[in-house]
Amino acid sequence: MIGTFMQIVEKAKEGGAKKRAAIPLLKEQDLNLLQRLAEEGFIVPLLIGNAKETEIIVGKAPLASLEYEIVDVKDSAEALRTAVAFTREGRADILMQGGVDQKSFMGAVLKKETGLMKGKLASYVSVLQAQKSERLILVTDTFVNDMPGIVEKQIIIENALVLAGILGMKEPKIAAIAAIEQVNPNIQSTVDAAVLSKMSERKQFGKAIIEGPLDMDCALSRVAAARKGIESIVTGNVDVYVVPEIETGYLLVQALVFFGRMKTAGILLGTAKPVIPNMPFISDENRVVELALAALISRREADNA
Amino acid sequence: MIRSLGDVSRLAKEKGPKRLAVLAPEDEEFMLAVKRSWEAGCIEPVLIGDTEKMARVAEKVGFDISRFEKIVKNDRQDISDLGIGMLFSGELSIVSKGQIPTSYIYRSIIRAEAKAGSGMTVSVMSLWEIPGVDHLVAFTDSGVNIRPDFKTKAEILKNAVFLCHLLGYKRPRIAVLSGQREFAGVLPSYRDYESLKQAAASGSLGECEIIDAASISEIFLGAGGRLEDYGKIDLMKTPHIFLVPCLDTGNIICKLDLFLDVTRCSLAVTSRGAVCIPARSDLSDSIVGQLAMGVVVADRMKEVI
Repeated sequence: MIGTFMQIVEKAKEGGAKKRAAIPLLKEQDLNLLQRLAEEGFIVPLLIGNAKETEIIVGKAPLASLEYEIVDVKDSAEALRTAVAFTREGRADILMQGGVDQKSFMGAVLKKETGLMKGKLASYVSVLQAQKSERLILVTDTFVNDMPGIVEKQIIIENALVLAGILGMKEPKIAAIAAIEQVNPNIQSTVDAAVLSKMSERKQFGKAIIEGPLDMDCALSRVAAARKGIESIVTGNVDVYVVPEIETGYLLVQALVFFGRMKTAGILLGTAKPVIPNMPFISDENRVVELALAALISRREADNA
Repeated sequence: MIRSLGDVSRLAKEKGPKRLAVLAPEDEEFMLAVKRSWEAGCIEPVLIGDTEKMARVAEKVGFDISRFEKIVKNDRQDISDLGIGMLFSGELSIVSKGQIPTSYIYRSIIRAEAKAGSGMTVSVMSLWEIPGVDHLVAFTDSGVNIRPDFKTKAEILKNAVFLCHLLGYKRPRIAVLSGQREFAGVLPSYRDYESLKQAAASGSLGECEIIDAASISEIFLGAGGRLEDYGKIDLMKTPHIFLVPCLDTGNIICKLDLFLDVTRCSLAVTSRGAVCIPARSDLSDSIVGQLAMGVVVADRMKEVI
């Protein structure tokens, strides 16, 4: 099982063809990322934007060893359209947000006919590693869906299981977390968690084991859970945390980053190709990990095809 | 000004013993915490619950409870109603939850506040001590209000500001948190953030300041900022209060103390005194700290009510 960010990158570098990542509107601040990609060598960037401006930016960094292509377009709207189209048509394997604003980028990705949607729902998975730990945890959905119901949460979990499988989590242990560990009809998250837990009991998520509702102390500590009368293989041993809604997901990851100094990366799943939106709290070093995750997903999908 | 839980512990010994009702100390960890707090001179316990269970756990932790007032009650709601009733009648200055579901306590407090005609909204503050931060940090509401609207959030904030003033923070800085992302529609929590900023500016929330940030990331990176280096995260920017969007968010994040290098203590401030709200899974070290906080808050409250 992959346990660290470094192992994710190492795995991405093992064999297989380089993956092509469409990056619209390269910004100077992305040069660090490109330098890292040059060092790691598992990605070929397709830099989509005004060719002259892009060349000037690239010229500011020593990228001699980096294989890359520049696709010349008129303006930012065309850069985004082209990046999405290239990815949809298979000329790129991965789509990054690059210098496009978040609203335009996510709007283009999630658009039904011309975007990159594969099924009904895309969701975002945060991957975290504590500074001194050799274990990864996934938290989802931490970016896309405001108030997912049971149907959406089922898809969110299925999306996360794809990534869990790639990371070698063979029987992922999933905590459907909520404010309390008891089912309270007034707290929807507890009801949803109980249903998901029952679905898992009936093997509706394959080998994955979902326990819920679990409050955070029960999820994090088997001792705490036992004191509340909960006995489960999941408590204190969680691979995937499913959050109740976006307020919790988006803020929980930030709390882990800023107060726990946990390394974090993330990726959009449920799309036809891996998509990487920009998150301000993900460092350049960890953006390389995001590309490595995307490359691994892309490779898996190619194998399955 | 109280800067740490060490300050709280020291002050509790100075200001104690305070008469404290413990609701159902029928678990070894709770009874051990009561024992240690009494031995430290912080509390004079009144034990309410099942006599046999209390005697059994007291014996297990080597605590002679024959000298203390004991009130025999078996029904959980009766235990809670009695303890909170004693607080509101002025018979004692602190109540602490023992091995009893929190919802019973909240129900008792809400009834007691209604009877007293205080108009006070009941809310819970979970305080974190974070290494590198020179003050305690409150997450609220982490216990009662499932999805508070603007009006309720304003009341929750007033409670938190009151507590901060008691702790010596004259003008607490507040972050009103939201899961708002650029690409999505405006969340109610973000609208509340904007409205509460106006309310704070008008002085209606008491002496406090709502900072220009609606996410943890924005606090530390600023709007449009990016995380470059974990070493550059300046935890001194941490506000005194985090107002969370909903109960799930508050409860889940505040219990990260089991995962992060932070220490938590939780309490509700009623119009008549403090109610300590340790989690049923908390261990005695943590409960001792929470009882100490109750003692200090009770001591300071008597000067203002």
